[in-house]
Amino acid sequence: MLKMTMPINPTYFTLLSALLFSIGMLGIFLNRRSIIIILMSIELLLLSVNINLVAFSAFHQNITGQIFTMFVLTVAAAEAAIGLAILVVFFRNKGSIKVEDTQQLKG
Amino acid sequence: MDNFFIQLIEILTISSYVLLIVGPLLICVAFLTYLERKVIAAVQYRKGPNVVGMFGLLQPFADGVKLFSKETIIPASANKVIFILAPMVSFALSLVAWSVIPISENLVLADINVGILYIFAISSLSIYGVIMAGWASNSKYAFLGALRSTAQMVSYEVSIGFVIVCVLLCVGSLNLTDIVMAQKSCWFFIPLFPMFIVFIISALAETNRAPFDLPEDESALVAGYFTEYSSMLFAMFFLGEYSAMILMSSLGTILFLGGWLPPLDYYIFKIVPGFLWFFIKVGLLLFVFLWVRATLPRFRYDQLMRLGWKIFLPLSLFWVFVTASVLVFFDLLPNPYG
Amino acid sequence: MNLFFFLFASITVLSAIAVISSRNPVHSVLFLILAFVNSAGLFVLAGAEFLAMILLIVYVGAVAVLFLFVVMMLNISLEEIKNQVKKYFYSGLFVGLVLMVELFFSFSNLDLIRNKNIEVINNKNLTNTHLIGSVMYTEYFFVFQLSGCILLVAMIGAIVLTLRRREGVLRQDISKQVSRKKKDSIELINVKNDNAN
Repeated sequence: MLKMTMPINPTYFTLLSALLFSIGMLGIFLNRRSIIIILMSIELLLLSVNINLVAFSAFHQNITGQIFTMFVLTVAAAEAAIGLAILVVFFRNKGSIKVEDTQQLKG
Repeated sequence: MDNFFIQLIEILTISSYVLLIVGPLLICVAFLTYLERKVIAAVQYRKGPNVVGMFGLLQPFADGVKLFSKETIIPASANKVIFILAPMVSFALSLVAWSVIPISENLVLADINVGILYIFAISSLSIYGVIMAGWASNSKYAFLGALRSTAQMVSYEVSIGFVIVCVLLCVGSLNLTDIVMAQKSCWFFIPLFPMFIVFIISALAETNRAPFDLPEDESALVAGYFTEYSSMLFAMFFLGEYSAMILMSSLGTILFLGGWLPPLDYYIFKIVPGFLWFFIKVGLLLFVFLWVRATLPRFRYDQLMRLGWKIFLPLSLFWVFVTASVLVFFDLLPNPYG
Repeated sequence: MNLFFFLFASITVLSAIAVISSRNPVHSVLFLILAFVNSAGLFVLAGAEFLAMILLIVYVGAVAVLFLFVVMMLNISLEEIKNQVKKYFYSGLFVGLVLMVELFFSFSNLDLIRNKNIEVINNKNLTNTHLIGSVMYTEYFFVFQLSGCILLVAMIGAIVLTLRRREGVLRQDISKQVSRKKKDSIELINVKNDNAN
C-alpha cells in the first residue's frame, strides 16, 4: 500500500459513502416499477460500504479493511447472480416483473 | 501559481506521450488492414491490392477516404445516444490499454504495479461496446449477433485469466516490465507451451477473429452487431477491432515470447535494439492471426462454447495446478521481496 | 488530487441518482456501470489499486454484464409512473432524508476514531497486492476458503434455477462421432445386373 505523501482525510470518503448509501435506500423504497431496480440499489449499498472500508484502510494504513472489501465483493457477486436467477425464473412464470406481483410468492 | 504551471507542464508532457503512442498505432492499424489483404491473397494464390500507389501501399488511405466520405445513417427507431456511444467506447478502450505496454526497457507510459490486471479489466470492459451496439440498433440480427459475441468473449476471458495466473506464478509480480525481465533466462513459451497455445486461441476468440468470427458471419448474420453502422461509426469499430488484435499480440509477446529481450544473450543479437525485437515478435504473432484467418473454416457457435468451457477451462485450471506444484516442489518460487 | 476526488465523487453520486430515477432499465444499468468505474478511480486515489482493478473485473466485467443480459432479454416495456407512486413518494423521501442527515452527523465527527491509538501492523514497503496476499492466505485463510464455497453454492444455485432441458433437441456427441467404425457406417451390397438396362 502506498505511503501517501498527503495523508488521506477519511471524512470526504465517508460522507460520499453516506450519500451513496442513502441513495441506495431511496432506490429500494421509492421504486414501484421493477424488481431489477431493487437489485441495482443493493449493489449501490454494497458499493458505498466498500468505499467506506477502503477509506479507513488507507487512513489507518492497515490492510485488513481491503481484505474485508474483497470478501464483500465476493458475496455481492454471488448474491447478484442468485437474485437475477430468481428474477428470470419469476419472469418465466409470471410474465412481468412488477413489484406488486411478488406478493403472490407469499407462502 | 507555481504549482499550477508545474501541473500544466505535466499534463502537456503526458498528452504528447499519448499522441506519440496513438499516432503510430493508428498508422499501424491502417497498414494491418492492407497487410491482411495481401497475406490472405498470397495464401489464396492471387495478388492483393496493387492498384492504389506502389504495390498498393496507399490502399488503407483510399479505404479511409471512402469510409469518411460516406453518409452516416442512424436508424429511426434506434436509441441515438447509445448508438453513437458504443463505437466510441469500443475504440477508446482499445487505445487506452496501450498506456501500460512496455516497448523496451523504460519505454512505457505508465509503469503501474497492476499492469496485467489493468489490461484484463480493459478487455472485460470492451464487451460493453459490443452489447450496446447490438441493443441500440433495435434490429433482431444485430442483437442476436451481439449476444453471441458477448457470450463468446466472456467465455474465453476465463481461460485467458487462468493462463495469466500461470505466468504470474512464475514471475511473482503483476508489473509488465517485471514479467519481461523474469524471462531473461528462458522465454515462458518453452516451459508453458500448452498455455501459449491456449492463449493464442483464446485471443483469437476474444477479438472475434476467424475461426471464431461467427458473430460477424458474413453470410448468415449480415454483419453481426455492426449491421446498422455506416461510415465513421463503422470505421471506429473496425479500427477498434484491429487495435485489439495488435494489443493481444503484444500481450502474447510480453507474457510468453520475452518482450524486448533478444533470443540469446550474445553480442550479435544485442546490436538490434530492444523495441525492434518487440516489433518483430508482435509481427510474428500478427502473421499467425492472419494466417489462421486464411486457412481455417469457421467454428459453429455451440462448438465454440464447448471448446471454451469444456476444454480450455479444465485444461488451464489443471495447468495452474501443475505449474504451482512444480514450482513448490523444486523450490523455484519467485521471491516477492527481491 | 483533490480535484480528481471531487470529479470522481460527483460523477458517482450523479450516476447513482440516475440509476434509481431512469425510466429505461437499460439506462439504469449503464449508469450503474459508470458509478462502478468512478468508484474504482476513487479506490486508486486511496492507494488500493489492486482492489480497483478487481472491482472493474468482477463488478463491471461480470455482475453488470449479467444485469445487462437479464434486462435486455426480459424485454421490459417502459412502465408508466402510476398514481399510486405519489402515495409512497413523500414518506419514502422523508425517511431517506432523515437517514442521510443522521449519517452525515455521525460521520462528520471523526475525532472519536482519529484519536484512538492504532498500531500500524502492516508497515512493510510492499505493493498493495503483496500486502493483501501476505495477510489473506495466512490469517484469513478460513474465510477465504469459505468465500470459495459461497461462490460454488451460488454457481450451482443459479444453474439449477434456470436450467431447462428441452425435448427433441439434437445434440452433438463428439465421442460417439469419433468412435464410429467402418462396419457401422458402410455396407457393401451386390446389385445384380438387369438385362433390360
